[in-house]
Amino acid sequence: MSYLVHLLIYFNIYVIVALSLNLIVGYCGMLSLAHAAFYSVGGYAYALLALNLGWGFLPAIAVAAIICALLSLAVSLPAWRLKGDFFVLATLAVQALIFSLIYNWFSLEAPLGTWQNLTNGPFGIAGIPKAEIAGFKFAQPTSFIWLATVLATVCAFVVWRLKHSPWGRVLVSMREDELAARSLGKNTRFLKVQAIAIASGLVAFAGALYAAHVSYLDPSSASLDESILMLSMIIVGGVGNFRGPIIGALVLIALPELLRFAHLPDAIAANLRLGIYGLLLVLMMHFRPQGLAGEYRLN
Amino acid sequence: MQIILNGLISGAAIALLAVAFQMVYLPTRVFFIGLAGIYSLAPFLVFAASEAGVPLAVGIVLAVATSVLVAVACEWLNHARLARKGASDGAHLISSLGIYILLAQLIAILWGNDTKTLRTGLDSTVHFGGSILTGSQLLMAGVAVVLLLGMWAMLHASNIGLRLRALADNPMQFALFGYNVDTHRLLAFAFAGLFASVSSLLTAYDIGFNPYTGLHAVLLAVVAVIIGGRHSFVGPAIGGLLLGLVRAGVVWHFSARWQEAVTFGVLVLFLLLRPHGVFGQKSRVEATA
Repeated sequence: MSYLVHLLIYFNIYVIVALSLNLIVGYCGMLSLAHAAFYSVGGYAYALLALNLGWGFLPAIAVAAIICALLSLAVSLPAWRLKGDFFVLATLAVQALIFSLIYNWFSLEAPLGTWQNLTNGPFGIAGIPKAEIAGFKFAQPTSFIWLATVLATVCAFVVWRLKHSPWGRVLVSMREDELAARSLGKNTRFLKVQAIAIASGLVAFAGALYAAHVSYLDPSSASLDESILMLSMIIVGGVGNFRGPIIGALVLIALPELLRFAHLPDAIAANLRLGIYGLLLVLMMHFRPQGLAGEYRLN
Repeated sequence: MQIILNGLISGAAIALLAVAFQMVYLPTRVFFIGLAGIYSLAPFLVFAASEAGVPLAVGIVLAVATSVLVAVACEWLNHARLARKGASDGAHLISSLGIYILLAQLIAILWGNDTKTLRTGLDSTVHFGGSILTGSQLLMAGVAVVLLLGMWAMLHASNIGLRLRALADNPMQFALFGYNVDTHRLLAFAFAGLFASVSSLLTAYDIGFNPYTGLHAVLLAVVAVIIGGRHSFVGPAIGGLLLGLVRAGVVWHFSARWQEAVTFGVLVLFLLLRPHGVFGQKSRVEATA
């Protein structure tokens, strides 16, 4: 039972990740490799605020989301000028810079959370407090899953409302033809800044949920591999609509668990799982470039 | 002096790989991350050959040949088919990323995740005007110079080089003149496999290898391509040497911890301020991207 609860919590976290990344990939039509970096910054912000300043869950994730939204300017400003492969490279650079900041911002002399030792570097932060709202502590997985589900539903609702708002329609028109959208007087630069800031703010929630659930965070959560996993999630599921990313999150969470029942030797199980992700990416591009349930083919 | 030499030599390895990347990128516009898989594969092939008792020289030739074949297979089985369907740059990039993940994980399943070395014992050292170089560094410098000059001569003095440059310049016109675009694309991938595997073997001989070295190396090579200029075959080689110098300088003046941050900081600066690179002609990024 608790195994299923853990799986559902992870599923909720990755639904938030996939839906927010879909805002960038599916609605702006730009591939981003920086998403894991914002996910991790969200987690670290929650961890430090809760651990050092004793903040509750809600104010901590609000501040985490604001930090990520501000940091997302590092991705959205290059998006003014760069397109295609070069935008991917710029997001890769942002990812590498944030990762090396998290990895290197520590010193062995100073206590955790001071300006000399903000992230504890490669050792990671242990003992992150469980989520606490108005005095109630979500200490058990069975209670935490309600928090995760509510938060994922709220994020999904926000994305769904955005998609069906006039703002969402302008976003899609920009994806289809940026020049035409601009000639109609739409400020596409500001639109990109908004969309990427919203996506980065939402993924901060996912990072904070992960930190509160696992109670431990290290720089590997900001690694390029994590970004690639997030990207393959929505590419397998499909982008440009609402159900695609959710299906992608479901498939990529369920696949390793199904493999677990295939009684593979432990030594190769992890490698085999990643290998299957790679194969899926190649096959998808050939046979179903819009993903399992998506409606937009990457431009 | 020691810093400059170290930087130039590690830059030479980056330059070789950058040239390999550019060999594919310019004629075909495929962002070939799968190259990282080939880069990871080559030293493991030599390792497996020497375990099986094959002499080292034969093992190296076999490994380079297999890498070339794998590169050609990537084009033949994947990128050529995608290009025929008119797939976008993004689709090429993602499927290429898939190829890398697949190759790296296959290597890890076959030979394990840990770091291995091709060389046993300490390296020989050579004194060179007040600075000390290791034998593998000299080997790397020598092979890289020969290959880079050979590539330059091939591109500018031979008919094949001329045709590859023509393909890079305007694929449509190239096809209209009656040349076979598909075979020349295969050729470009074969060259990429050759350069990538040589660069990989030289680095592996110097510092060892594991299944995941490829991606990082290819990312450095892409940074070198951006620095050098993405419209030129020679630019990436110079960009690689410059990047090697910068990275060695960072280790000397700050700390090895900040090498990656500085590398990608340089990438951001170039992308924003000088997207055509040091040697490229001026053109706006959005015009071609």
